[in-house]
Amino acid sequence: MSTATATTTPATPDAFDRLGERVADAINPIVVKEVRQGLRTRVFTIFFAVMLAANLLISLVAFAFADEGGTRTGQDAFMAYFVALACVQFFVIPYSAYRSMSREAEEETWVLLTLTGLGPRRILAGKVASFVLQGTLYASAAAPFLLFSYYLNGIDLPTIVVALATSIAYQLFLVALSVSMATLAETRLVRGLLHFVLLGLLLQGLGFGIGGTAGAMELSRKALADGVFWLSALAGTFAMVTTGMLFFELAAARLSLPSEDYARGPRRWYLVQAVGMLAFFLWGYAASGERGVLVAGALSQAAHALLVGQTVASDRDGMARVHWATGKRFSPFKPGALRGFTVVTVVTLAAGALYAVPGFSAGDPGMEAVIIAAPAFALVYLATPQIVARWVPHPPSQTALMVRVLAFGLFVLGVGLPPLVGELVAEADNLALNLLNPTVGLVNVAKAKVDALPLVLVPWGVALGVTAWAFAVLRRHDVEPLA
Amino acid sequence: MSLLTVKGLSRHFGSLKAVDDVTFSLDAGTILGFIGPNGAGKSTTMRIIATLDVPTAGEVLLDGQSVVARPDAARPLIGYMPDRYGTYEDMTVFEFLDFFARAYKLRGKERVERVDSVMEFTGLLPLKDKLTSELSKGMKQRVALGRTLLHDPKLLILDEPADGLDPRARIELRELLRALASQGKAVLISSHILTELSEICDACAIIEQGRLLATGSVQEVLSRTHGALPSTDVEVRLHATPGARDAVTQKAERLLLEQPLVVDVVPSNDGVRFRIELPQGTQPTPGWVDGACVRILKAMVAAELPVVSFQTREHDLEDAFMSVTRGRVQ
Repeated sequence: MSTATATTTPATPDAFDRLGERVADAINPIVVKEVRQGLRTRVFTIFFAVMLAANLLISLVAFAFADEGGTRTGQDAFMAYFVALACVQFFVIPYSAYRSMSREAEEETWVLLTLTGLGPRRILAGKVASFVLQGTLYASAAAPFLLFSYYLNGIDLPTIVVALATSIAYQLFLVALSVSMATLAETRLVRGLLHFVLLGLLLQGLGFGIGGTAGAMELSRKALADGVFWLSALAGTFAMVTTGMLFFELAAARLSLPSEDYARGPRRWYLVQAVGMLAFFLWGYAASGERGVLVAGALSQAAHALLVGQTVASDRDGMARVHWATGKRFSPFKPGALRGFTVVTVVTLAAGALYAVPGFSAGDPGMEAVIIAAPAFALVYLATPQIVARWVPHPPSQTALMVRVLAFGLFVLGVGLPPLVGELVAEADNLALNLLNPTVGLVNVAKAKVDALPLVLVPWGVALGVTAWAFAVLRRHDVEPLA
Repeated sequence: MSLLTVKGLSRHFGSLKAVDDVTFSLDAGTILGFIGPNGAGKSTTMRIIATLDVPTAGEVLLDGQSVVARPDAARPLIGYMPDRYGTYEDMTVFEFLDFFARAYKLRGKERVERVDSVMEFTGLLPLKDKLTSELSKGMKQRVALGRTLLHDPKLLILDEPADGLDPRARIELRELLRALASQGKAVLISSHILTELSEICDACAIIEQGRLLATGSVQEVLSRTHGALPSTDVEVRLHATPGARDAVTQKAERLLLEQPLVVDVVPSNDGVRFRIELPQGTQPTPGWVDGACVRILKAMVAAELPVVSFQTREHDLEDAFMSVTRGRVQ
C-alpha cells in the first residue's frame, strides 16, 4: 500500500523495552496474544489473589504448628501449598486453554489465524505454550511458599523439585488434552457436550494429580531408592508426554487441509509411543525377570494398536494431488488410509515378534500362548473395520470417523455377542464360539496352556486373511479424492 | 497475464455440486463483483481461492502459481475477509492489528509502520486504543479490512463486506475499495446489494447453482444481457404549454395503449411513462427492445406528438442478474 506514513510518535523505548520487543518478535505471536489477553482477565486476577491468600494462610497455620515441634509439618504444609497450586494448574489453566481454543471457533477467528500462514501446529503450540507460561507464573508465585515448607522440616529438596517438575509435565498434558478437545467440536451442541465431558475429565485429573503426588510423597523416602519406582515413574512420564503429543498432533491434523502435511505428526508420535512402550516392557522384564511383564506388554501393545493405532490408521482414501507429486509414493508418513494401516500393521507384527522371542523361554505354556495370540486379535479388529467401512456409503471426508465408529462397534460385538449366543444356545463353555473374542478368547488361550495351539492358529489365520483383504481393499481405494 | 485465473473449478459435497466448472480471470487493479443468490457457490469459490478449501477438480492460479498445490506460497498474496468473522472483543484495535501483523511475520520497525499505515488508510487511528467490542459494525468492518491489508496482499477477497452496514459506512467502504484498486490490487467482492457492486466493479461474474452464467467487464455483461430481459421501462418527455399539457398527455396515452407490447402507461410530470413487455412465454431475441422503441417513437412522431426525449431506463447489474438467473436453489 502506498499510504505508508507513520503518524504516531512513540516515546523512545529504553533498553528493557527494546529487549522485550525483541523477545516478543522472536516468539510465537499466539503466545504474545494469549498472555496479553490472559493476564488481563478477571479469572487470572481472582485466582492469583486467592492462591496467594491461601498460601499465606497455610504459612501462618504451618508456622504455628512448627513451634509445637512436629516432624511432618513441612510435608503437610507442602501438600497444602500443592493443593492450592494444583487447583489452578490442573483445572483453571487447562479449562481456560479449552475456552480460548473453542472461542476461536465460536467467534470465527480461527479462519483468520489460518490465513496468516502460521499453520495449525504453530497455532496450537502457541496456545499450549501460552497457558503453560501462565501456569509457570502461578508456580513462581507459589515457589517461595513451597521452599518455606522445606525449612519447616519433614520434606527434602529433591522431593519438592521432582514434585514441581512432574506437576509442570502433568499440566502440559492436561493443557494439550484440553486444547485438542476444543478442536473436536464443530457444532454448538457438540461443544456444549464436550464442555461437560472436559469438566469431568479435569476434575478427575485434578484428583489424580493431587492423589498421585500425596501417594508419591508418602512413599518418597523408600521409593526414591527403588529402581522399579524410577522405571515406573519414567514410563508414566513417557506415557503422559507422548499421549499429550499425540493429542496435539491429532488436533493439528484435524485442523489441516487435505493438501497440507497432516499425517506425519500423529504417525510419528504413534511410532514413538509404540517403540517406547515395547522398550519399557522389555526393560521391565530384563530388570525383574517376571514373565507377567511380557504378557502385560503383549496385551498392552495389542490394546495400543486397537486404540491409538486405529486412530492413526483411519484416514481418508488416497491423498491430495500435491502429496502425489512430492516424495516417495509409499512413504509411511504420507496421507492416506493405505499408508496409515501399513504403519500400524508392521508395528503390531514387529512388536508381537519381539515379545515372542523372550516369551518362548518363559516356561509357561499359557503365558506363551497369550503372548503369541495377542497381536492376532489386534490385527483382526484393526483390519475388519477398514474393510467394512469401504462397503458403507459415506462422503470421503468422513472415512476416518466411519472406521473409528465401526471399530468400536465391532469390538463391542466381538466381546459381547459370543457369550450372549453361548448362553442362548446353552453352549457357554464352547471354546469355538469365543475363538475371536478379544477378552474371553484370550482367557481361553491362557487356560488351555499346552492345548492352546488351535485357539491361537484360528485367530492368526483370520488375522492374516482379513489383513491381506484390507490391504487389497485399501489399495483399490488409494486414489486421488481431492485436487 | 491475469493475476488470478480460475479454470474449470468444481467442488462437490457428495451429490451436491456446490461449484461446477467455474472459469474466470481477474487482472491487477480490477474489482470483480461476484454475484449470485444465497447458496449459489460464491463463498465456496472464494474459500477455495483463499486456500481454505480444496477443489474436487480444476485449478486456481495466482500470479502464475497454483493455489491448490502450494497454498502456503499463495497465502501471503491473498487478503481474505470472510462473511462472518470475529475481532477478539477483549483486544484494542491496535493490539488486534499488531497481533495479526506479527502473525504475518512482520517484525520490529516494519511492523509498527505497517500497522500505523493501515490504521491511517482505514481511518482507525483515532480509535486505536478502543476495544473492538466497543466499535460499531462499520468500524469493525474497517478493522477487518485493515487486517486483510497488513501483509500488503495482491489479491483481496471480500465476502459480503457491505452486509449490515449503514449507507454512510457503505459509501466509505466503496471509497476504500476504489482506492485499493487504484493502488494495483485486484479485488474479488461478493454482495447481495447489486446497485453497490455496479457502482464500484469493473467486471462481474454471475453464478447460480454453482455454474457461472455470465462473466466479463460490467459493460460487456450489460450489453450481452440487455435485450435478454422480457420487459423494459420507457420515459417520454413531451413539450406543451401548461394549458395544453393535459390534452397532449392524454393523446399520447391513447396512442401508446394502441401500440403492441406497451403496458402500464401512466402520466408523469412532463410526459408519460410506460413499459414495453413481451407476452408471457415469449423468449426475448437480441435487439427486441430497440426494435420496439423505434416503432413506438415513429408512431408518436407520425401522430405529431411534441416528443422532447424518449429514454429507456438504464440497464444495470440488477437487470443483468435477473435476466440470466432463474431463481433456482440447490
